[in-house]
Amino acid sequence: MNRIQNLVQRIQNYLRQPRNAITISVVVILFVAGFLIKTPPPHISLVAEPLLEGGSSWLTNSMLTTILVDIVILILALWTRATIKMIPSGFSHVVEIMLEALYNLTQSVAGKRARDFFPWAATIFILVLVSNYSGLIPGVGSILVVQEAGGHAAVMESSAKPRILGGELVMANGAIISMSGVRSEAQQEEGHVASVPLFRAPSADLNMSLALGLSTMLMAQVWGVRQLGLKYFKKFFQFKRSGMGVIMGMAGLLELISEFTKIISFTFRLFGNIFAGEVLLLVMAFLFAFILPMPFYALELFVGFIQSLVFMMLAVVFFTVATLSHSGDHH
Amino acid sequence: MGQLGQILQQLGINGTLLLSQIVNFFIVMFILRMLLYKPVLGMLEKRKERIAQSMKDVERASAAAGEAEQEKAGILDGARREAQEIRAQAARDTEKIAQEIRSRADAEATAIRMKGQADAEAQVQTILTDAKKQIADLAIAATEQLLGRELQNRAEQERFVNEYLAQQSGSGK
Repeated sequence: MNRIQNLVQRIQNYLRQPRNAITISVVVILFVAGFLIKTPPPHISLVAEPLLEGGSSWLTNSMLTTILVDIVILILALWTRATIKMIPSGFSHVVEIMLEALYNLTQSVAGKRARDFFPWAATIFILVLVSNYSGLIPGVGSILVVQEAGGHAAVMESSAKPRILGGELVMANGAIISMSGVRSEAQQEEGHVASVPLFRAPSADLNMSLALGLSTMLMAQVWGVRQLGLKYFKKFFQFKRSGMGVIMGMAGLLELISEFTKIISFTFRLFGNIFAGEVLLLVMAFLFAFILPMPFYALELFVGFIQSLVFMMLAVVFFTVATLSHSGDHH
Repeated sequence: MGQLGQILQQLGINGTLLLSQIVNFFIVMFILRMLLYKPVLGMLEKRKERIAQSMKDVERASAAAGEAEQEKAGILDGARREAQEIRAQAARDTEKIAQEIRSRADAEATAIRMKGQADAEAQVQTILTDAKKQIADLAIAATEQLLGRELQNRAEQERFVNEYLAQQSGSGK
């Protein structure tokens, strides 16, 4: 009995501080609101969708985000370039530390070739990292663009007719509002109406991850040929007339296949992780709008970092392996 | 083949988009290489060199400081030794001068004493001569009276006295 009273006393003391009281009440309000607000089912699509229906099919939401990601990277690079000084300080110092860490990481794998591989490794890391994190910005995946049958798209505004939208979160004059229950009527009225997320993380688009995987594996072949000449291809075609010859031939064949497998694993590892993370966040937000997605957000921040690091490290490892003399050493 | 195309389409893979993403990757790499990697790695390299240089400078400076310290100690030591020498020399000089003065004073004193002695002797001699003369006179007078006669020749008389005196002084000593 005494213990309970003690606890109550302590809670009261805790709440007496205005800051604590505000924090607790906000959490409680959000928790209650989570039950009251009906979150619409999330818009989930495996593919990146074109923003302009009937227009050019290349302008997909992920392509738009890619351009934004490029701009962000460019601004960061310019900022670093402008503020870099002999005596390190501020933002440029942070970038320097990051790049030095990446360089050391590359060097630990590639050794002397780090200088050649570094631009690839760093670009992959930065591009993938910013792409991954772009998917975590609030609004990416939740701001929808409405496509009308007429062929032009418009961002939903409060003045626009509600018939266009289904039950999704919509940005209207700076405020995200929820419109549910209108979609079915709208779809009944007009068959062609659909809504598409305005932004989509580039790494959640197979085109981007496949582009990176293809470039990386293609470049691995280039490094191999540059280092070993035409001897590089020997590792794929090791046909000899002996007992071991058959096995070596098979091994070479496997080697050849593995080069393609690496592309696929690169592609789907990145795409799968990031796309799954976004779906996870959307589903969590759908299940319970507030508080519940927070741990998953932290998880996705971690996953985004790890995936970019993994992509980079694997690229460096494949480059390095390609430059090592393969056949001939065994015999 | 058609089936593969269909699968790719279902996955959203599209030649144009794929190519544009590849091109995008290369553009980003090119730009970052120009804007970021070269300056940053160059700066890191430069800074490393600068730090190494600074370390070397510091080492050199500290070595020079040590050397200077040693030099200072040496100079101080020399100065101290010199001072000691000068002091010793001074002491020696003083001693010599004192000795000289003392010896000169000695010599002077001796000279003065000698002179005094000589003076006294001369005086004694004079007095003695006087006394002899008087004695001679007295003796003559006494002899004259005693003998009651006067020598005829005055010169002879004097010669006689002198002879007598010389005889006296010769045995007087």
